[in-house]
Amino acid sequence: MSKNSAEEKLSNYIDALNNEQHSETADTANDPELEKLLATARLVRSLREPVMPEDGYPQKLARTVAGEVQKARQNGQAAKSKPKSVKGILPAMAALAAGLLIFVLVNWLGPFNQDVVYAMEKAVTQLSNYHGILEMRTKNAVGEEWLVRQVELWAEDDKYAIRQDDGTLIINNGRQKWQISHNDREVALLPLLPDHTRNNFDLRDEAKRAKQYPHTIVGSELIAGRQATKLAISPPGGMEYYLWVDIETNLPIQLQTAMQNALQTTYTFVSFKPNTEIDPQIFTYQVPQGYRVVENEPGQLVATVEEAAAISGVTPLLPEKAPIRILAFQDRIIFDYGDTTITETMPKGDFEPAANASLGVAAGGPLEVWWDRLRWRQNGLEIQVEGVQRLELAGQIAPDLTVPNSNQDLVSKAQVKVSVDKELVEADQKQVDRGSSPWQLDPLQVSLTFVNLKVTPEGIQGEPEIPMSSYKVVANNSAEAVVEVGHGPIERVYLKRLVRQDETGIWSVVGYDPR
Amino acid sequence: MIAADVYKKAAEGDPKAIEKICVATWEPLYRFIYYKVQNREDAEDVTQETYVKTLSYMQKNKAPQENFLGFMKTVSLNIIRDRWRKEKRGGVLVNFQQINPAETAAGDQQNAIAQRLLLEGAMAKLSQEQQTILELRIIKGYSVAETAKLLGKTEGAVRTAQHRALQALSRLLDDKELQDQKGEGSC
Repeated sequence: MSKNSAEEKLSNYIDALNNEQHSETADTANDPELEKLLATARLVRSLREPVMPEDGYPQKLARTVAGEVQKARQNGQAAKSKPKSVKGILPAMAALAAGLLIFVLVNWLGPFNQDVVYAMEKAVTQLSNYHGILEMRTKNAVGEEWLVRQVELWAEDDKYAIRQDDGTLIINNGRQKWQISHNDREVALLPLLPDHTRNNFDLRDEAKRAKQYPHTIVGSELIAGRQATKLAISPPGGMEYYLWVDIETNLPIQLQTAMQNALQTTYTFVSFKPNTEIDPQIFTYQVPQGYRVVENEPGQLVATVEEAAAISGVTPLLPEKAPIRILAFQDRIIFDYGDTTITETMPKGDFEPAANASLGVAAGGPLEVWWDRLRWRQNGLEIQVEGVQRLELAGQIAPDLTVPNSNQDLVSKAQVKVSVDKELVEADQKQVDRGSSPWQLDPLQVSLTFVNLKVTPEGIQGEPEIPMSSYKVVANNSAEAVVEVGHGPIERVYLKRLVRQDETGIWSVVGYDPR
Repeated sequence: MIAADVYKKAAEGDPKAIEKICVATWEPLYRFIYYKVQNREDAEDVTQETYVKTLSYMQKNKAPQENFLGFMKTVSLNIIRDRWRKEKRGGVLVNFQQINPAETAAGDQQNAIAQRLLLEGAMAKLSQEQQTILELRIIKGYSVAETAKLLGKTEGAVRTAQHRALQALSRLLDDKELQDQKGEGSC
């Protein structure tokens, strides 16, 4: 290492210390001499008075610590209350597989790529609370813009409050959820269902999407008084949209959708304070004087699984991992893990996976895989696991859980191949993205159209000759699908998602088996 | 002085008791942690984590009420060490040499004072210009450009001078430590 670069690195390191930054800037390249000088600089800095926290820090600290202790105690109780008969031993292989999957994903996504998106993801993870005003504006194709809605948001841990334009407040404090309507002078108690999407501009979701899809930095702009990096994000086969990331906080502050159906929507945090002081009163359930209370099956927060079973009449199946909260309703139990929920209900009717869902296997039967939701039946229960830990938790309940493999070839065995015009498919995909012809997202509807056009090539008039009840999805790995047809000239239809292999991708027929 | 029943209630998760303990102890703990991590964000994080861990030890009756602060300092050092290990895996360099849990607990205050005296003594042996440059750049936190302007030097000269000043200080501290070790050995 040259003398100059050592001087430069030392100087940069002192600047980082002075700016209260972490010492990431210190690239000593295993130079013991330089490491020693950095240590000496830190030692000299210890003569300086520490930068003290803001006023009210000990009280804030105490609140956070009390919350953490409470959470840990609840976890401990939930774990202790778990009846042994409910669940077997943790399937070690499933845990190992999940660990490996996370390792592979993390490396594939490049955790050390210190770009805007990585910094944003980190900032979102470290966000403990925020208060802001979110504005939604829409612009039409001729450039006219108008304000659609403005909401005020408070969020802290699992608690949040939203004040709408008309003053209506929706509050969820983790124990209760309610809506205060000043117009109706009414407080409505709402079901305490965990809801991951609180508005159309969810910071966590946007950070996740930006990381998932190809993105480029296209500029820097002042948004609501804050300097922000503008990112262009391109979902595969979809339309480009923009996200602005605050340079100071690394958090998203504005989202602009693509122009769809001649309309473009922009969500902007016109005011945003991350990691701030939030008055705890906002999350306290209070009925204003003279307001009536309307109850809408709010559910109950319970401490033990036995309690939940007694209230709901459901004997649940539990994963090894203990939930943060257990909610009991008249006919169902919800285990809440913060970012993931498990809902167990008494099933009604036959199990019918969503037509557009991919299919796997769980407890010896079909497993519906739909966005970040898994659903199947086991031991007389219908189980739905939704959220980021879905695979791990579902695997703990149903050890045979197998998710569809999108690399598995389902369509090559088609007896008759159908050629597809790629350009036409891409145009169709864009149409569907804009909200037109959503039937193309459903492999059953696509098969129905294809088969009936074979039967009546002049077009489908009125009721199709081979009705929808004759079609059944027998395989769907999210990239390819096979649909069986009960009668008529075609026995099987083979389909592919040619543009995008997720739930927003349209299906195209690529082959069939004549009967 | 924190009453015994406050510890008990805090261990049970009573928010008021937790607040009493935090208010009474946070400042010396925070200063201690800040000294080690040298930035506010980390110091606040580690302080919070230290209380959560200490309370979990209290729930298991594993935290002493006497010398409670010393115990928390040891807990905080373990947290800093764990963070260092994790960050080291991510390629981040953090100083670890100064972290020695054995030093903490009761004797830490004395150690801190002794270390400060040692450092001030070594600083006093530097040339006047070297002392000024370290004071401006590190203790007062001026940028290279500001320091250069104040001293009538070029920015390059400031960088070279601070490099040399820290080399000289490092040598002086090494010599002093060596002498101390020799002194202890001869007793």
